[in-house]
Amino acid sequence: MVSVAITRVRQGHAPFAGLVWTLIRTDFKTRYHGTIGGFVWALLKPLTMFLVLLAVFSYVFATDPQYKFDLIIGLFLYEFFQESTKAGLLSIRAKGYLLTKARFPSWIVVVTSASNAVITLIFFSLVLLMFLGGSGRAPSITSIALYSAYQVLFFAIVTGFSLAASVLFMRYRDLNQVWEVVTHAGFFVAPIIYPIGILPERMHAYLYAWPPTPIILFSRSVLLDGHVPSLIAHLLLLIETALVLGVGALIYRLRAPRVAEEL
Amino acid sequence: MRPRVIEVAGVSKTFTIPSSRRETVREHALDFFRPRPQERLRVLESVSFELRQGESLGLMGRNGCGKSTLLKIVSGIYPVDSGRVDVHAAVTPILELGVGWNPDLDAIDNIELLGTVMGMTLKQLRAATDEILEFAELEKFAHLELRHYSSGMAARLAYAVAFRAVREVLILDEVFAVGDAGFKERCQQRYRDLHRAGHSMLLVSHEPRTIATFCDRALLLEGGHILLAGAAEMVASRYLELLTEEAAISARPHAR
Repeated sequence: MVSVAITRVRQGHAPFAGLVWTLIRTDFKTRYHGTIGGFVWALLKPLTMFLVLLAVFSYVFATDPQYKFDLIIGLFLYEFFQESTKAGLLSIRAKGYLLTKARFPSWIVVVTSASNAVITLIFFSLVLLMFLGGSGRAPSITSIALYSAYQVLFFAIVTGFSLAASVLFMRYRDLNQVWEVVTHAGFFVAPIIYPIGILPERMHAYLYAWPPTPIILFSRSVLLDGHVPSLIAHLLLLIETALVLGVGALIYRLRAPRVAEEL
Repeated sequence: MRPRVIEVAGVSKTFTIPSSRRETVREHALDFFRPRPQERLRVLESVSFELRQGESLGLMGRNGCGKSTLLKIVSGIYPVDSGRVDVHAAVTPILELGVGWNPDLDAIDNIELLGTVMGMTLKQLRAATDEILEFAELEKFAHLELRHYSSGMAARLAYAVAFRAVREVLILDEVFAVGDAGFKERCQQRYRDLHRAGHSMLLVSHEPRTIATFCDRALLLEGGHILLAGAAEMVASRYLELLTEEAAISARPHAR
């Protein structure tokens, strides 16, 4: 009986760094039409949104000066989650023309698909930090470091979702519509527009199971209150991140060998 | 005897016919209690061959006989259902190059995209960009977005990148069917140079003269099996006979 296998020699040091950089650069160029003006214009959207929300909620909820910052952080982090997971889900289909031409790990196109959303998130974070600094609420170095660490974990969570969704999308061609519904519903699961305290405590565990929730709450906590969540809370976040990334990687590993056939 | 660079042993491959496939979450949910029979098509059946270092092996066969699937399996793009593929050297596949670019990027960016996918470093690519554009005769259109290219121009660009990215083994699908006479001649010359330099080649073509001219040995694939293996000229002649027989059968009036 013959075995089912393809064995290969190591084909030298594959220049994945060059491929990663080229994918990020060309995605950026495609989105911003290859011009600095295009990039600036694209960044104006989140900046304008930031200013509008700030202005409106400074007026509407003037009695609670923290609410506008809670809302802005929640909205922008959730926007990152929605945008990057959507790009990740579509990534293998979108880059299919490369996957049928040569053999290279398709996870590279999945992971790099979030690059534009990451750029926007970094830009938003800088604007937020500058604004907080300018309004006399400058976060400490520890708070900024923790906030950055949460965003790294958020990227790992997004990668986990994207790895699974990108290969499942090749089998379930309407998965993008399903995912859109899930993320819209998830917007109300994560305490973005309401404070988590208005819900009974027994429900909090369910809200925290939706990965954007702990990231948003922890980010607000360190940046706005200067309060560091407990060690147990951090451990639970790490476990949740590892779980999402692990399950995503497992689904990807099972389905990825056949994606070229499904393109 | 020269060492083997590719060994294919008893490879079989089956595809599910798309029309019988459930492709959406909705279809899976609605058909959960109503299993739909899956129509399967066996494309390759126990195919075995080997390619030795410096050898040029041709692959012929009628449309749908499994040539492209076999090339993708050897290139590592498709997995096998059963059998074994051992590849002992670095492979550059030159497949489906006429299609699939990023239409919003210009030629230089697309060269970097395709070149890095094919294993070149950015440094190598930047040093080779002028040569690639010259080979494709597209120097004047280097900064033109690919959406404005004709299919012939896009294919020339792709082959120019692929011929620059070559590693020990080249896998080529209908490479001499692209471009005008001048471009074909340049491709053929590059092929000869690479062969002379000791690269191994696996070449698919429908053109008997191409196989007879450029290959040492050839395989004739029919219905997913290897019908004939031997000297390139003999296989090319048998393929021509096969086409003649097919034409005679289709020209014969049907008895009532």
